[in-house]
Amino acid sequence: MATHQQTQPPSDFPAPADDNSQIPEATKPASEVQQATIAQETVKQDPPTSVFKNSEPIREDQIQNAIKFLSHPRVKGSPVIHRRSFLERKGLTKEEIDEAFRRVPDPPPSSQTTVTSQDGQQAVSTVQPQAMQPVVAAPAPLVVTPQAAFLSRFRWYHAILAVGVLAASGAGTAVFIKKSLIPRFKSWVQRIMLEEETDPLKKADAKPSLAEEAVAAGKAASAAASDVARVSQEMMITKNEERKYFEDLTHLLGVQVQEMKSLSNNIRKLEGQPNNIPKIYSADQEVYNGSVTAARKPYTNGSNVDYDTRSARSASPPAPPADSSVPPHPKSYMDIMSMIQRGEKPSNIREINDMPPNPNQPLSDPRIAPKSKPWDYGQAPQAESSNGQWWQQKNPRSTDFGYETTTAARFTANQNETSTVEPAAFQRQRSWVPPQPPPVAMAEAAEAIRRPKPRAKIDQEAAASDDQSGVSDELQKITKFSESGGDGSERIQITEIEEETEQQHISPEGN
Amino acid sequence: MPVFKAPFNGYSVKFSPFYESRLAVATAQNFGILGNGRIHVLELAPGAPGVTESVAYDTADAVYDVCWSESHDSVLIAAIGDGSVKIYDTALPPPSNPIRSFQEHAREVQSLDYNPTRRDSFLTSSWDDTVKLWAMDRPASVRTFKEHVYCVYQAVWNPKHGDVFASASGDCTVRIWDVREPGSTMIIPGHEYEILSCDWNKYDDCILATSSVDKTVKVWDVRSYRVPLAVLNGHGYAVRKVKFSPHRRSLIASCSYDMTVCLWDYMVEDALVGRYDHHTEFAVGIDMSVLVEGLMASTGWDELVYVWQQGMDPRAS
Repeated sequence: MATHQQTQPPSDFPAPADDNSQIPEATKPASEVQQATIAQETVKQDPPTSVFKNSEPIREDQIQNAIKFLSHPRVKGSPVIHRRSFLERKGLTKEEIDEAFRRVPDPPPSSQTTVTSQDGQQAVSTVQPQAMQPVVAAPAPLVVTPQAAFLSRFRWYHAILAVGVLAASGAGTAVFIKKSLIPRFKSWVQRIMLEEETDPLKKADAKPSLAEEAVAAGKAASAAASDVARVSQEMMITKNEERKYFEDLTHLLGVQVQEMKSLSNNIRKLEGQPNNIPKIYSADQEVYNGSVTAARKPYTNGSNVDYDTRSARSASPPAPPADSSVPPHPKSYMDIMSMIQRGEKPSNIREINDMPPNPNQPLSDPRIAPKSKPWDYGQAPQAESSNGQWWQQKNPRSTDFGYETTTAARFTANQNETSTVEPAAFQRQRSWVPPQPPPVAMAEAAEAIRRPKPRAKIDQEAAASDDQSGVSDELQKITKFSESGGDGSERIQITEIEEETEQQHISPEGN
Repeated sequence: MPVFKAPFNGYSVKFSPFYESRLAVATAQNFGILGNGRIHVLELAPGAPGVTESVAYDTADAVYDVCWSESHDSVLIAAIGDGSVKIYDTALPPPSNPIRSFQEHAREVQSLDYNPTRRDSFLTSSWDDTVKLWAMDRPASVRTFKEHVYCVYQAVWNPKHGDVFASASGDCTVRIWDVREPGSTMIIPGHEYEILSCDWNKYDDCILATSSVDKTVKVWDVRSYRVPLAVLNGHGYAVRKVKFSPHRRSLIASCSYDMTVCLWDYMVEDALVGRYDHHTEFAVGIDMSVLVEGLMASTGWDELVYVWQQGMDPRAS
């Protein structure tokens, strides 16, 4: 599709060899190395898509995982775009995702046979928690924080509920005891009365037992009185307990009220302070995100200042991760958000007509030719004036930060000086300072000579890592990068030389 | 160091590729939630204020990003919250501006990037999940790239290959595209959370930095993109913008909601080489001058724009 001949950028790349487009992807790294060593091009020009495209082979294991994911009934119910997005976030390439989508409608044979169906189910169930968690987590990473807030609130409820339950049970038992004791007492008294009646009936002629009866009656009366006293004592005790419960409850409530009062006092104090310090608001995730669900009214022509809740304006700043805190917003930001949610419009908005008065107005002619960039080798940017405007000089003056001294020292390379003194920062990386190379007459040749070395290094590393990519062993990759980190320091040396020579021939050329 | 106080909250700052002392600032009222916007064109000057405003353009909606044309020295392009893309010509009198307004995106336009090699086209990325390619002389977009499933926060051209660009999205992936291909050529699932920004290494065309809500900046080599080359920790909150230095191969600047601007050298063991905490609100915009080595600018929700030389304190006077 791409015709490389047509896409010649204005900067002077020599045309890439046409046979590059025919080279199969597997040998592209090799061809890159060849090109680099042949100093025909100043920049790696071979089809740029070869670097910016996936050259990895399709990974079958990833496709299998994707198929399991896509075959899950719950996933089948979700929109296709979400499924693709999930697989992309898991690191599958486009080709792998397409292949998985192609295969999923065909029921994989393993799921049909009963013997392997269990394996299929197990595999699906293992994929399921992984799949569901990210799917659930992705659209709503914020659910966790409301839950956390909910949990903290839960403790209050817990305490209040517990005290209430205790008080209620105490009162209930007291009432129950009252209700059950009184009938029991009554029945007991009745029984005694009955016994008294039957006894005198039986001993009708026992006149001398009158005294005994009186004594017995007195005893019974005293026993009854003691019982009554005991019961009333118990009732008093339960009443006291109830009172204690209620006192505790009121005490707790009073404590809470006091805390809230102190909080509001603090907030008022903070509001009273001058406005240099950013305001801290009680982090309220719901307010922050509540407007995400609010709908946005469509625009009408010209009346752009219509009130509409910018539903995703609260998404800028975008939603924070669930585990870290929301950055403290300025108080006035929260004011405006709450104002909009209430339906009010901030009063400082003006009606402005910002449409072009003449949509066909031609652009004015440019007065200056486009300048080349510092990273286009061999073409130095025009440092127009070395008048000594403050913004052109790199000032080695050290500032408060420890970092700043190293940074300042590092950048001490005034355009007209050739610095050979290495700042302390570089001592870490190398102890030997290369001598300044002589000024270069032909910049292009110098670049051509210099560039292949770092290029070859990079390409060798790339080729090596490409060979091993099929293994997909994380450990290997990490060790590889630590190795390349070691090589990286050499690259720093090379680049330092490059930059210093660039600066050197900036100064004679820049006028 | 010069400081400019804007009436609205800052969103983006860009140095002009033609004039060393010129920069443009995109600002939005009410933190960009709802309100007008304004584009400031600033000039650095020797002497007391250090920076003055040469012209300002008001917009009905927030301006989220601004970029300078690489072909015309006086032209700048603005990304507006109502989904429009507007072109301004500073060489024309202010009432003649804007000279173009393209209304195609369905949602806010979040970022702009002008092609530095071809110099005839630019990209816009939007919350409507698409990236659009535009040419200055065409009344409509040339192409729309629709593959992301969430807001595309930034799209950046490759500095060496004029047809290749990268896009960073809230769907947690970075995609590499080639305008000659029908779809994306590479998908990098870079972070577990939204990816807010990306930028190419100017000296190594295969190296890409991404920054995310997960507070890290990661550096990737697209040739072996499964594992990042480096993970830069140090910010306390989401990292909003990341930028590779135009002058030093391994130097990266980043700004974050922790209100700091950090400098990193990803090839060094202890990568953090500088930290500036001059802002008092979210730092959301950062740029490094292509014409003057070491010159940086940043802006934030505290309505301030700072311009300073690396190694100096931005707040020093």
